[in-house]
Formats: sequence, C-alpha cells, structure tokens
Amino acid sequence: MNAVASGAPSVPLEMDDIQSGALHHRPVPYEGWFVFLRVDDRHDGRALLRRLLPAVQGGLPSADPNRGAWAAVALTYQGLRALGVPQESLDSFPLEFRQGMAARADVLGDVGESDPANWEPPFGTGDVHIVLSGLAPDAARLEKALERARAAYQETPGVEVIYQQEVHQLPTGRTSFGFRDGISYPGIEGTGIPGSNPQEAPLKAGEFILGYPDETGNLPPMPQPEILGRNGTYLAVRKLHTKVAAWRRYLRANTASEAEEALLGAKMIGRWPSGAPLALAPDKDDPELGADPSRNNDFLYREDDDRGFKCPATAHVRRVNPRDATIIGAIRLHRIIRRGTSYGPPLPEGVLEDDGADRGLVGVFIGAHLDRQFEFIKSEWVNDGNFIGYSGEKDPVAGHHDGTGSITIPQKPVRRRLQNLPTFVVTRGGEYCFLPGLRALRWLTELED
Amino acid sequence: MTASTEATQSAQPERPGLTDGVASEFLVIAKIKPGHTDALRKVIEAAQAKMDRSGQIEIGTLHTARALIFDNDTRFLFASVFDGSWDTYIDDFAVTVAGENFEKTFTHTEGFPGMKDPKVKEWFVANQVPAGLFTTSYPDLTVKQIWKDQRVNEAFQEVLDTPEFRELLDNPAAAALRATPAFQRLLDEAAG
Repeated sequence: MNAVASGAPSVPLEMDDIQSGALHHRPVPYEGWFVFLRVDDRHDGRALLRRLLPAVQGGLPSADPNRGAWAAVALTYQGLRALGVPQESLDSFPLEFRQGMAARADVLGDVGESDPANWEPPFGTGDVHIVLSGLAPDAARLEKALERARAAYQETPGVEVIYQQEVHQLPTGRTSFGFRDGISYPGIEGTGIPGSNPQEAPLKAGEFILGYPDETGNLPPMPQPEILGRNGTYLAVRKLHTKVAAWRRYLRANTASEAEEALLGAKMIGRWPSGAPLALAPDKDDPELGADPSRNNDFLYREDDDRGFKCPATAHVRRVNPRDATIIGAIRLHRIIRRGTSYGPPLPEGVLEDDGADRGLVGVFIGAHLDRQFEFIKSEWVNDGNFIGYSGEKDPVAGHHDGTGSITIPQKPVRRRLQNLPTFVVTRGGEYCFLPGLRALRWLTELED
Repeated sequence: MTASTEATQSAQPERPGLTDGVASEFLVIAKIKPGHTDALRKVIEAAQAKMDRSGQIEIGTLHTARALIFDNDTRFLFASVFDGSWDTYIDDFAVTVAGENFEKTFTHTEGFPGMKDPKVKEWFVANQVPAGLFTTSYPDLTVKQIWKDQRVNEAFQEVLDTPEFRELLDNPAAAALRATPAFQRLLDEAAG
C-alpha cells in the first residue's frame, strides 16, 4: 500500500525558517551535547530564548551532510506553559505532546525497568522545559556552535540547567552493541537532501515539517497561532541505556561458534557490524559494502526476500523501516528521521561481564506526527509483531522482553525460535519536544505579560 | 498561496468500545442524508455481491464486518470486529481499497467529513455506540494468526493423508521423536 498525496498544492519549503536541527543528518564522526533547562520565571525564559536566537541556525548548515554543525532549541509542553504561551494555543497542541512522554509509557512500552517511575530525574517530572542541543563533526566546531548558547543561559537568572548529557561517536565508529548506525534516512521533498535509499521516493514535507501537505494529502494538525506552528516539528528525545554484556552473553549462549554468533547478531539487527545489510549480504559481513554509502542502503525486500530468509521480518532495522515488505498498513505514513548518538564508554571487545558503566544512546526521533510516526512505530512495529504475522513478538534488540520474549528467525527447513529474551535496551528517560521554526522562536520571545 | 490556514487540530478523543483479548468491537450508527437511502443501499448490495475478500486481505486485521440500513430507512449501522484499536490504523485505512469503500458508503451519511479528512477520527468517535457486552471465542488469536493456523492445519491434514508419512511413523527410527511430549500432542491432534 502506498499513500498517494493528491489535490494538495505543492508549497516550497521555507528552509531558512526551519531549524537546522530538524532535517539535517548526523555528522560522521560526531560530538554532541544536550542541555536540559527549567524555566522558573517566564520573563527570564523569554529572555533566554532571545539570547539564544542568534545561536540557532535555519536551513542547511553545510552542503556536505556529514560535516554540518548546529545548535537547536526545543520546548516541552511544560516549557511552553512556563513561558506563558496562552492557554488557547497550548490546547491546540496534540494530546500526546501535551501529556508528555512519561504519560505515554503504556503506548511506548516503557514498563518494568523502563517505567517512568525508574527514570533518571529530571526526565518525566515536568521540570524539563527547554532542550538545547548541539551536534558537530568535532569538539572544536561543537564548542563554536554552543558557545553563544552557553553564554545565553549562564547569564540568564531564572532559568536553571538541570541535566546535561554529552554524546560522541565511539572510537569504533559503531554503536555500543557494535554496529554501524546512522545509515538510513528518508528523502524529503523540497529539501534538496536525497534519502539514503535511492529506491524510496522522497516523502512529502508535511511528514516532517508543519505547514505543508503530508502523505495523506492533508496538512498535519498544527498548533496555533500559525506563526508558532509553521515550520516546526516534534522530537521524541530518549536516553536509552544499552546492556551490552547481556547482549553478548545472549549471543554466546545461543550459538556454537564465532561465525554463528556473528550471524545471529546480524539476524537480530538486520545488518552486519560493518553496516552491510543482510538483504544484500545474507551469509557473511561485507565491510566494503557496509562502508559504501551509495550501496549500503540501496535495497528493498519484497521481490527478493519477502519472507525474510535473508533479513528476518523480525530484525530491528527491517521492523522500523519495512520498506516495501508485505505488512499491515501503509509504510509511508510511518517514516521518521532517527538521529542516534552514543554516550558512555564502549564495553571493551570480548568482555561478557557488565562493568557497571552507563552507556547507550540518546535517540532523537523527528516527525510532524508523534502519534502516527514515533508512537505507532513503538507500539506496532517495536513492541508487537502482528504487522508482520508474528503477533506478540517484539523487536529483538529494542523491545522490552523481561526474559519471556521470543523471536522467530525464518530459515529452511525449520524456522529458528529464540526464547527467553532479556531486555537489552532500557529507557532512562525522555521528553516530547516541539522544535519551532525561527519566526516561532521570535514570537515566543515577544509574548506579553 | 500557502496551504496552511485550514490546518485543523484533531480533538484526540478518548477511544470508546470494548476489547476482549486482541480483538476490539467497533459499531457506528449514522443518520442517512435525506434522499440518499437508495444510493446507500446500492453501495451495500454491490459490495456484498462482489465480495472477494481482497479488502480483508489488504487490511489484515478485520475479523467480521456488517452493514445495514434500519429505523425505517433513516439510519445506517456498521459493526466490525478487528485486531488492535481501530484508530491505530485509521490513517492507513484511508489509503486502502477498503477505505475507498468506506468513503463510498459513509458519504451518504450526515456530517461525514471524508476518510482523508483529519477530523474523520472525531466523526467516527462521535457516532460510535460502544457495546455493553463483547466477547470472542478466540481472544488470543489475531486474523494473521488464524490465517497461519489454517494454512498449517491444511498442510498437516495433507501430510496425514500421505502414505509415506504413515510408513515413517512406523519406522523404528522415528521412535525417539514419537516419544517426545511435543510430538505426542501432534499425534493426539492427528488421531481425530
């Protein structure tokens, strides 16, 4: 099923008004910083935004998608309230955003260890009002992107830095689990940034930016007044702890050789450590393919592998982006921009015992529809498997398993079924944020009373 | 022109209706537009006449559906049972063939904004009549699972009719397999 937008006029994107942090790819390598602030006085909050304005860029920070640096300013619902945004305008935001990520725990599968009751403060407490972030190819450029922003909050009383998180690419260039990431991103009409899969038509801008038609042909529901909503988007920001030792032990315990271990890990992820996709390299890793951006995301599933004998339908990357595979629902209505960034030290190669270190990723998930993009992907694609015919099965790596999970890996003559999966990823906290356009940011600084 | 001023905010209504296990019930009653009853009846009759289940296969979550005109030809009722919560896939549904049929049907009822209108969720909720009792005999099974179970059973029955299988069962080499509890369960089902 493909959604076809019809009837809606094609409107040029006002790229210069859209924060760079909305659409730009994560640089490779990268250094980043997240700062979470509480606003104790609305006038001071507005003053902070006024000082932040010159630090925030619109448009594309660099023609080379791997070399851009930027700072971005996003606000939670509680943050908009703390700034004194009129109630009528607050009420015009979608329910899930108004409730906040913690209140959506049931929808998102944040239960057990990931329950908001176990989150690191200040996540989920209502105290996070402004999320300031910077991302750059190296520490020097990050510092440059952030120095003005730092000065802005340091010289503003009445706003408090309540949490900070540094992120950076691990020396391996891979995630803490040991897999190259940041490979797949959708193309978006009107941005001039091509998607990484040449076989996927660019998505309508309204899937990612408010104020433009989306894949249904409609305009996304937009908060009012228009100046506040237009050119904005939503971010789901999550700090996710990864249990790397448990992951390695699980692979070891369920295989008989190093080669089997590597294959099982790849079957669960959908890619090999190098980034080579199973769809193109079903039997063994192909580092050349993994490192080649012109080929490592150039594939579909239906014609060659609809049943998942190469890349299981149950594998992580295939679940969260099923491409043209046979599933329940319309894939193009559930695309998202993912920007994963690692924190914490890597667990040294070969170590199977947990060293107690906190490591994982800060994931930023971007789209104009929190409910039918981020929340849908979590509830239907990550925490259930009915859409691919494996009802009740969860994402092997990202699902919340609590030791009872099972995963089907198609193979002939008999499928393999993994059982008693533990949880490998624990939510440490997160917030739903609104990333306003630049005019909207200015509008917020000009609120009265 | 810029296409922004008519952007509307969905009210994000609460989801009425009962669920039992994986299944939910969804029943909508709507007033038929004056003079539209015959046209609506034709749409329903045509859908019934050419029922090939392709719509269900495309959707993959629909257990049953019924549509009828009642109350002296003034009101329309649609009732269905499906997997999950109806609004999860409502946007997806709008771009399916079944969604087109919904469009053709509900367009004859009052106030229907159209399947692709963001307010369609609100309209359905406003016209939904939640059940007081809802139960299913297979609360653990989704449509997808039922289809799989049916395919597996059909193949299993064919295997049972295969002489080579009977011979294999009697082969001493199969004794160890036959003795396992899992295979015993299978043989118990094979017995009749």
